[in-house]
Amino acid sequence: MKKEILTSARTGDSCIHVKHSSGLDIYISEMNDFSSIEALIGTKYGSVNNIFRNAADSDYTTVPEGIAHFLEHKLFENEDCGVFELYARTGASCNAFTSFDKTCYLFSCSKNYEENLEILLDFVQKPYFTKENVDKEMGIIGQEIKMTNDNPEWRVFFNMLRGMYHNHPIKTDIAGTEESISHIDADLLYKCYDTFYNLNNMVLSIAGNISADKVLEICDRCLRPSEDKGLETVFPDEPDEIVTSEITEKQPVGASIFQFGYKCTPSDGEQRLRDVAAASTAAALLTDPALPMCERLLKEETINSTFDGEVFYGSGYFTVYFSGESDRPREVRDALFEEIDRLINEGIREKDFQRIKKTAYGMMIRGLNNVEAVANLMLNAHMDSVGPYDTIEVLSDLTCDDVIDYMRRELRPDRSVLSVITKEA
Amino acid sequence: MIYKRSELGDSIGFNTMVDKKFKTCSLAIYFLTELSDKTAAANNLAASILTVSSSTYKTYAALSEKLSELYGAGLGSSARKKGDAQILGLRASWLDNRYAIDGEDIGGEMRRLIRDCLFNPNAENGAFDEKSFAMVKKDLIDRIDGELNQKRSYALEQAEKLAYRGEPAECTGYGSREAALSADPEEVYRAYSELLKTAQIEIYYVSPEEDDSFAEMFRTSFSSIDRQPKTVSMRNHSPLKAEVETLSEEFDVNQCKAVLAFKTDSDDRYALKMLSIIYGELPFSKLFLNVREKMSLCYYCSSRSVSVKGSFFVDLGVERSNIEKAKAEIMAQLEEIKKGNITDDEIQGALMALDNAVLQVGDTPSSYIGWYLDCFCDGETITPEEHFRRFEEVTKERMIEAAKSLELDSIYLMLNKEVQAE
Repeated sequence: MKKEILTSARTGDSCIHVKHSSGLDIYISEMNDFSSIEALIGTKYGSVNNIFRNAADSDYTTVPEGIAHFLEHKLFENEDCGVFELYARTGASCNAFTSFDKTCYLFSCSKNYEENLEILLDFVQKPYFTKENVDKEMGIIGQEIKMTNDNPEWRVFFNMLRGMYHNHPIKTDIAGTEESISHIDADLLYKCYDTFYNLNNMVLSIAGNISADKVLEICDRCLRPSEDKGLETVFPDEPDEIVTSEITEKQPVGASIFQFGYKCTPSDGEQRLRDVAAASTAAALLTDPALPMCERLLKEETINSTFDGEVFYGSGYFTVYFSGESDRPREVRDALFEEIDRLINEGIREKDFQRIKKTAYGMMIRGLNNVEAVANLMLNAHMDSVGPYDTIEVLSDLTCDDVIDYMRRELRPDRSVLSVITKEA
Repeated sequence: MIYKRSELGDSIGFNTMVDKKFKTCSLAIYFLTELSDKTAAANNLAASILTVSSSTYKTYAALSEKLSELYGAGLGSSARKKGDAQILGLRASWLDNRYAIDGEDIGGEMRRLIRDCLFNPNAENGAFDEKSFAMVKKDLIDRIDGELNQKRSYALEQAEKLAYRGEPAECTGYGSREAALSADPEEVYRAYSELLKTAQIEIYYVSPEEDDSFAEMFRTSFSSIDRQPKTVSMRNHSPLKAEVETLSEEFDVNQCKAVLAFKTDSDDRYALKMLSIIYGELPFSKLFLNVREKMSLCYYCSSRSVSVKGSFFVDLGVERSNIEKAKAEIMAQLEEIKKGNITDDEIQGALMALDNAVLQVGDTPSSYIGWYLDCFCDGETITPEEHFRRFEEVTKERMIEAAKSLELDSIYLMLNKEVQAE
């Protein structure tokens, strides 16, 4: 077992990282002034990981879309009872989620964290899939798929991704389709479980009113050592070009919404951290109400205060996108084209750049003020192969030129996609 | 944590919570007033406009620039309803001074900025600034138009409108489209003046160190206002309709939504909350275990007790062909409770969940503020521990009585167009 203390030189915050002998990475942040405890265990397995093999396998296995999410639902059932029932006895609030590149199981509590942690570690290591319990889940997940298909924010986002990506599975819905999940059975779930729920592919993150020694003692007792089988996941080749520059869909909505994004070059590890810092700063500048473009669009009522910019990334995908409500989304797109050109040619005012950096710094400090946010920060940083406090350091080193370079390189009009959900006639 | 409440003026409470663990300071000011379709939109616009400009920072751009210089300090407004009352809020939060890299006095700057926004707004000759007004008006109309974008919350809003027809709570907390469209800068300025004069005002300040400067600022600023506060009647039980009323709407949606509204004459809010947890609030509740897990009819099916209005809601997303089957099971599970089918494990599970939840009050500034505001609305300030003790006292018999008091009042259905046409 290898133990290290990670500290932020800038804020003084620290946490413990342990590479456990079972193969699991563990992050612990003792925040003993707080009452609550937040714990997450996650595997690097999300909706995009549909082609994979272990080192000993000769061929790759391809599984149906939506299976990671399906597995998440089913892992909540033990042979003798449901996980919710176990947590009902301790009072913890438990949940799980599947994203594009990870699946996480979590609990939040202010009492009995030792018992809650034991339950968490136990059930993620104890799958129980049968034909009956798989069939039963079809109807529930079918309703979840229908519900998300009625969510215009979800639709506008996926339409944008479909406009960007030819082959990468990022363009498919996390839960799959009713058709794709109909091919899932207990054997396939076990195959995916055995591949991805190997502790070498997982991380535990726990923060709040806890004792690190106690947490490690529970881990020693509950974790069953996993052999690292050399998991390899692959993605289809993805060209740099987009599929289409504009997608519009009609839906029963009251307000038309849009997302406008740039397909950017994906990266990993520390390079990705630098790309994210530059891209986030660019997005913040381009949506800053203090700057003339936003001020004009607000005044002309082309946008409202929902206008926002974000960076979205993972294995083999990276996009900077802007979203909001507007009846004239093409005008927003054209304004962004012009403003990016202007910033590239005229540069960013140092004063504005420093303001945006200060805002980002403020947001990070706020995140360290909250048990849930700290637990998520540690988990996400590990999933991204960086340290929990690395972002603050990278941000402080970021220069105006880095941001201009990023915009020039990545925010290219020919790699942009406008997705719109409009009202039905 | 040290909690104190003092009166700064007639019906103006100032609540301080000092808690060393926080890296930020938070301030919230709430105006409590009667909910009415005539004033809700104007009140909401007034609260909004205070956070987009001031007499010092005359444009949204200028105010935004200042806030970002202060390490991205937050400033926003909210408008919601509780029972028959409208609660308008202004919230601000900022980094504690010890995190200012360049040694700025962030707290002092925020105090001046908040004073300016509230007591020296961007207005002249009895009217708010036109440009700021246009911006918040568009935001509000877009928000109202966007209600349908979120299908579940839209269905719940329609169910409330149906259940509370003819009562103040029929309105949303943010106002109607018609009222928002007809509002002008003069009317909204008058609405704000009226709020300053007549609303019940509660202010909350959460900081890591003791700091009287905000209380002093508010005391001085309010001293020049002629206060004539009006009592707000929040807790009014909604009458049961003579016959169950059903309202359905058709949309081109994939999933239908159903909301069942019940009414109760019970004032036992602790028993109603315990009932709701056991019946449908958590993943071990009866509705989850039966309607979802056993019958696979839905992804969500949950209940909520609104004790200030003597009402109780169950909502779910479901196939149209399964609505009646789901409704029958929802009613059957309620009947089971009425018959006394509540296990000790269920009661214990509900109490454990409540215990964990109340102990987390104080882990974020907003949870402190939410807790003490709720206490104020309920007319009694108690600790989370005392709150939990009252739940512990709820007997199975009280829960059964609460269940027996529920009568179905109305049903809202969002239906799939295609299936309807068959």
